[in-house]
Amino acid sequence: MKKSIFSYLINRILLYALIFLISLSAFFFFINLVPGDPVTRYIQMMEQRYGLSTPASEIVIQKYKEVFGLNKGLFERYTSYLSRLILHLDFGPSFVAFPKPAIELILESLPWSIGLLGTSVIIAWVLGVMLGTIIGWKRESKISSIVFTTGLVISQIPTYLLAIVLVMIFTFWLNLFPMGGAYSAMLQRSFSLRFILSLIKHAFLPSMSLVFVYVFGTMISQRALVINVLGEDYIKLAEAKGLKSSRLVNRYILRNTLLPQTTGLALSLGFIVNGFFLIEWIFNYPGIGRLFMMAIREMDYNVLMGITITTMFCVLTANLIIEFLYPLIDPRIRRG
Amino acid sequence: MKRVLLILKYSPKLTTGIIIILSLVLLAILEPTINYYRLGGRSSTEIGLFDTFLPPSREHPFGTEAYGRDVFSLLLTGLKYSLLIGFTAGALATAIAVVLASIAGYKGGRIEAFITTIANAILIIPSWPILAIIVLFVRKVDLFLLSLILAFFSWAGSSRQIKAQIASLRERPYIDLARVTGFSDLEIMFKEILPNFLPYIFVGFSYAVTGTIMAETALRLVGLGPADIPSLGQFINWAIYSGTLAQGHYIIVISPIAFLILTFVSLNLINVGLDEVFNPRLKQVTGV
Repeated sequence: MKKSIFSYLINRILLYALIFLISLSAFFFFINLVPGDPVTRYIQMMEQRYGLSTPASEIVIQKYKEVFGLNKGLFERYTSYLSRLILHLDFGPSFVAFPKPAIELILESLPWSIGLLGTSVIIAWVLGVMLGTIIGWKRESKISSIVFTTGLVISQIPTYLLAIVLVMIFTFWLNLFPMGGAYSAMLQRSFSLRFILSLIKHAFLPSMSLVFVYVFGTMISQRALVINVLGEDYIKLAEAKGLKSSRLVNRYILRNTLLPQTTGLALSLGFIVNGFFLIEWIFNYPGIGRLFMMAIREMDYNVLMGITITTMFCVLTANLIIEFLYPLIDPRIRRG
Repeated sequence: MKRVLLILKYSPKLTTGIIIILSLVLLAILEPTINYYRLGGRSSTEIGLFDTFLPPSREHPFGTEAYGRDVFSLLLTGLKYSLLIGFTAGALATAIAVVLASIAGYKGGRIEAFITTIANAILIIPSWPILAIIVLFVRKVDLFLLSLILAFFSWAGSSRQIKAQIASLRERPYIDLARVTGFSDLEIMFKEILPNFLPYIFVGFSYAVTGTIMAETALRLVGLGPADIPSLGQFINWAIYSGTLAQGHYIIVISPIAFLILTFVSLNLINVGLDEVFNPRLKQVTGV
């Protein structure tokens, strides 16, 4: 029994490593096959933006290409990029903050994103599963169908559009919440109560724009799962046995919906992160999404590559962690 | 025809969804005519046609915005382009999904494993940043190219659903019968299997339309993509960057958002409605 769990875990790790490598390579080759190299493109952009008429001299461009390793062949660039990435965790220097390495910029902003996103997703998921179970269990009641229909509408709102609406209502109209940032600029980072309150106050709206949509998204899929389980014969038997409904819901219904629901979370994580890039941008939250938008404006190539690869890695790792939970949820996997 | 009416009567969600999306499409189709009469033949994106920030009135039902353009006309133009990109990309994505899912679901084995892995990779990985970098780096993105790029990232979801459906259909006896009768693989796929999951293809299509419009709006919102295609996302971008919110002209930002949400909600109502009508398992349990 121990062995089958072990091989399950190894199997999953290898699969995710493969997916990571394939996506990374496809992404790398695509970016490098687009005509024009990042240095030339960057200099062209600077010329346009600041109205410089003298084109940067060839020598400067050559020098930069050397520093960024762009004068080598495609395959050589690929292998050196990979080895640098895997052995030294190095994405190369940032263009804008040269010679600061891109990884430093990314590591500074990553904790903010993971903290806010992680908390919001967990809150949304737990609330959604609870609500979905209730309205699936009591599906005939009037309130359930009202909640369900409302949920159908709300779950279709993209998180970033809701974010704009929330900013409009709570910041511009009611002036209740701050415009952006992660904490008030007047405070020093510390463990004081005032600082923590400021953190929460700044995180509230971005978090709400995600939670509000995903609670209903999870609720709807949970309701469908519950209704499917309710059609099974063992539920009828359990009911006929006269089991208490709390036991029926906890042991018979919830447990059987938990596995597909967790899979659903794993699958939608990438999609949630997509929206989160924009939420951070809208709220000027100092996470990885805002860094990405700034890098896009500056065409900071290494930072863009780095952020994309880092988010890929984080999402895949989160998926892997979720899959490691499967054997705990479902004994069938434990037994292989 | 009678059957269609019966289905519509049976599922109010489906009917509501169809009515909303058809009205939106109709508005988009009539956009050139409406704007021609409202603006006297001038383009809705032309700057300085009217005074800036006029309040809503009879001539300007939603007022005018920071660059002196009529908000209602801009909305219609934006709706037209958003729907156009959504439907083009959605159709492309569905075509890719159907072909790949048919191959995977019908052939099985290694080919299936390969296609499934690629589809899962696209589903799991946050694809929007990749999309943004591609659009940033590829110069001269036109409407079709943009739709194609969007489609590439949105076929995976529908292909999953379609594949599951095919895999279950493959085991049915009448498929064996067709095979014994000497039908080719292609004939079986397109003559015997395809007609049986048309509703699922439509569900896949509407998911892809929603997904691509969302991704496109997100791109345009941050200022990426072709500036000469004034979709609703571009409109919101203009509104935000011209300080509309700070000056309290909320309707200019709310109206494009409302149009987008209406589109998404109506498509989803159609999906849910189709599921109610065609999913026998759901019917049995809910007892309707």
